[in-house]
Amino acid sequence: MSSETKKPLLACRNLFKHFGALAAVNNIDIDVYPGDVLGIGGPNGAGKTTFIDVISGINPASSGTVSLDGHDITNYGPDRICHRGMARTYQLNAGFDSLSVRDNVLVGAAFGSGDQGIPKFRYSKEMMARVDYALELVGMQDRGHLIAREVPVLDRKLLMLASAIATEPKLLLIDEPVGGLTPHEIDHVMEILRGLMKEGITIILIEHVMRFLLQLSTRVLIMHHGESIYEGAPDQLLADQQVVEVYLGEGTAKRLRHLMDQGAK
Amino acid sequence: MSRRDLIILVVLIAFAIAFPYMGVPRYLLTSALVMFCFATVVTQWNLVFGVAGIFSLGQLAIFAIGAYTTAVMGRYLDMNVWYTFPIAGLAGVGLSLLVGLATLRMKGVYVALLTIAIAQMMFVLIQTDTACSELNRIINPQTCISFTGGSQGLGDFGSFGWREVLGGRDAVRGDYYTMLGLLVVGVLVSFFIINSRIGLGFKALRDNPELAASRGISQFKYQLIVFGVSAFLTAVAGSFYAAKFKAVGPGILGFDLLLLLIAMLVVGGLGRAWGPLLGALVITIFREGVDNIMTEGLQWRDVIFGGIVAAVMIFMPEGLTGTLDRLWNYILIKLGFAKARSSTVTAVAQDKKAND
Amino acid sequence: MNFFLQIIVSGLTLGAMYSLSAVGLSLVWGSFNMLNMAHGAIMTLGAYFVIIWFDSMGMTLWLAAPFALICAAIAGVILYFISAHWMLTKRAFDTNIMIATIGISIALQTGLLKAFGGEPYAQPLSLRSYSFMVNDVPVSYQRLVIWATALILMVGVGIFLSRTNFGRAVRATAQNRDAAQLMGVRVRRVYVAVLALASVLAAVSGIMLSSMKELMPLMGGEPLLKAFIVIILAGLGNVTGALYAAILVGLLEAAVQVLVGAQYGFPAILIFVILVLIWKPAGLFGRRTVARQ
Ligand SMILES: Nc1ncnc2c1ncn2[C@@H]1O[C@H](COP(=O)(O)OP(=O)(O)O)[C@@H](O)[C@H]1O
Ligand SMILES: [Mg+2]
Repeated sequence: MSSETKKPLLACRNLFKHFGALAAVNNIDIDVYPGDVLGIGGPNGAGKTTFIDVISGINPASSGTVSLDGHDITNYGPDRICHRGMARTYQLNAGFDSLSVRDNVLVGAAFGSGDQGIPKFRYSKEMMARVDYALELVGMQDRGHLIAREVPVLDRKLLMLASAIATEPKLLLIDEPVGGLTPHEIDHVMEILRGLMKEGITIILIEHVMRFLLQLSTRVLIMHHGESIYEGAPDQLLADQQVVEVYLGEGTAKRLRHLMDQGAK
Repeated sequence: MSRRDLIILVVLIAFAIAFPYMGVPRYLLTSALVMFCFATVVTQWNLVFGVAGIFSLGQLAIFAIGAYTTAVMGRYLDMNVWYTFPIAGLAGVGLSLLVGLATLRMKGVYVALLTIAIAQMMFVLIQTDTACSELNRIINPQTCISFTGGSQGLGDFGSFGWREVLGGRDAVRGDYYTMLGLLVVGVLVSFFIINSRIGLGFKALRDNPELAASRGISQFKYQLIVFGVSAFLTAVAGSFYAAKFKAVGPGILGFDLLLLLIAMLVVGGLGRAWGPLLGALVITIFREGVDNIMTEGLQWRDVIFGGIVAAVMIFMPEGLTGTLDRLWNYILIKLGFAKARSSTVTAVAQDKKAND
Repeated sequence: MNFFLQIIVSGLTLGAMYSLSAVGLSLVWGSFNMLNMAHGAIMTLGAYFVIIWFDSMGMTLWLAAPFALICAAIAGVILYFISAHWMLTKRAFDTNIMIATIGISIALQTGLLKAFGGEPYAQPLSLRSYSFMVNDVPVSYQRLVIWATALILMVGVGIFLSRTNFGRAVRATAQNRDAAQLMGVRVRRVYVAVLALASVLAAVSGIMLSSMKELMPLMGGEPLLKAFIVIILAGLGNVTGALYAAILVGLLEAAVQVLVGAQYGFPAILIFVILVLIWKPAGLFGRRTVARQ
């Protein structure tokens, strides 16, 4: 998928993030091309969340550069990065708890893109349309009036996704979207993400559920102690000795190989 | 603004306009107009504390800046107080923006502590200002009064001037309608902002600052906006207060007034458009009522008052409007006029349907 | 030279008194993020309890003082059960309880005003009128009592926190409530005990305060502000830091009072604390990570 002639949408160069002596992100160097789905895996504490915290501006990089669509965003705050077309979700269910589901998505639509120079009092028709579109994409159009605090876990995850989509991102960062969900719910989320891919949104996806990660990704990055220990096609991953050793374990690898073979047939 | 809100507001304003002609004693008019003044402050404070979720107690300092601006300009520059109002408003905005900048990266109680310290600082500076001022000597060579008047306060800077226009007997009505006008503007501004796109930004920042930033909201910009916008009318209210009573002293920076305003805010309900109005009304009626019932009751009043503030915070942190809102929604849902706003209720309702 | 001595003597006294009130306040915040605005009212209450047991009940002073402290501890427990107990699991605990305790403080203070009237009482527990001279600077024995009390109590609290099981539970809870709970610490009991302990410290500082000046229902307001200043300078929740900051503030205030003028002492420390809050909100000795939670 990722041809070398295309210009990368996201380019990270020698990215580091230190917490004291700990290098939570240790020299990550990666390009993500338009239309890619980059899956990121790795054990707990590997630095996956910190990595997308850094590129989305939540936590400034210690050194290295990040550019989006050829534009250097290393020192941008999260709001400006969002305006340039990158949106993210959180590992924990983050939301605007006292607002309705619809207003949650409206925040993304009203503030996430376009000209945010001078704050305005009114919403445009186009924003409202985007809210409807985002709610429909995650299948929550009938629940817009509910208060966000009170919707169930799956809906909270979908809501977070919808409010990200409403910002019209070119690049969407998704942090463990199916953690704690049932297999049935996982399939539901997978369908939604497939829908997003069809819309042409480039995605970086962190996930522990390997079946989910391998089936959706066009490329995979495995992190360990902040470093990249594997970067390449998903179907080569299970052949990588180091990944199997430090992360998957022989049993899981075997099960996944079986699954991938079935998928291929 | 919903139709329901608009109707209630129109009825309230009509009632307030008719009130002075309903044969009420004059002191009640004064209580009412003081209530209008404080309610204005609370509507604006609610934007900062309730809607944007920034626990600033600096509103009193802004109120005081407004009052002192009018006093100083009226006294030393011989300005008509009506001309000092916009200047007072801008002075308040200036101070508030500074406070907003200083608290930009702070959360929760840190903001409260800093703003208390700033208000206390103003209080102490005014109190320790005892040197005879040169400016005052120009106006009145016989007396020794400091620039801010120190703990004595300042007087002699003019008033609304209704006495000259309406005569001594009706002057209080002039004051009453002036304050009412201010409050109506304050309420309209607050309703407008709460329901606007900017207001949504404030609420998002309140509920989850990090997510708000990720969705494109600049905390810097929106915090400064809410501090700036809410300060103008607060300072003008302070300056109206000075003009009405023709005197200001450092007492307006004191703990008593702070508690009174907090009580109006939290009893009414934080972050809700109707909260400040309802809170101001209920608290004023409570105070007037207790004063009438218990002649020696001034201190008991404050014991009960403190208890009420505590009890509301502990058992009813959403205030009266929060509770009424739930009740209203519950009734609407029961009557079938609205959809339930919590999925648990929806689930129950769906179960019921399934059983039917 | 006498100036210097004067500053040291009065600065250390102020510092000792501030440390007594500030350490309790800091401990409560450090344990469960409760900024107790009723702390000043409890100081006053503690001082009045001495009067109640001594004047009204006719106890000897040696009995009245410990009884007053026990009553203060009970007041702390009651404070917990009427406020924090109901709010701990609700949203915006830190701001809501701050407002709630402002209300409780007003109720308590005006209650005292109603019960005892506005006239000042003399604190019976005082050696203020007896003094000795050091280099022409009079030092009252009461100052010695205050220094000794502060020293003993601070060392006592230090030992309590570092050496006893209960102290370890307090510190564990302060660092991580959930983890402490998982380890079997009954955190709510810890909170009650911390509030009781803080109230005892408040009462001691109230008694000391009134022994230097006089006893009035509204006397808790200013020391509360000072205690806040101290714990902000130390960094909220930094208990040992509060001790140092108290002495620093006492000395600074005394120095400005002696060298510049009595009325400038308070404004000087206010400016200082505003600047610290803006530039170093974690306090003078604080680590950055604990700030602005
Ligand atoms: N704000 C922080 N301060 C200090 N250490 C942190 C912080 N955030 C994350 N870490 C540490 O960085 C490492 C990577 O964490 P994280 O990115 O959350 O891992 P993952 O998402 O891969 O599970 C962990 O060791 C974690 O403890
Ligand atoms: Mg993670």
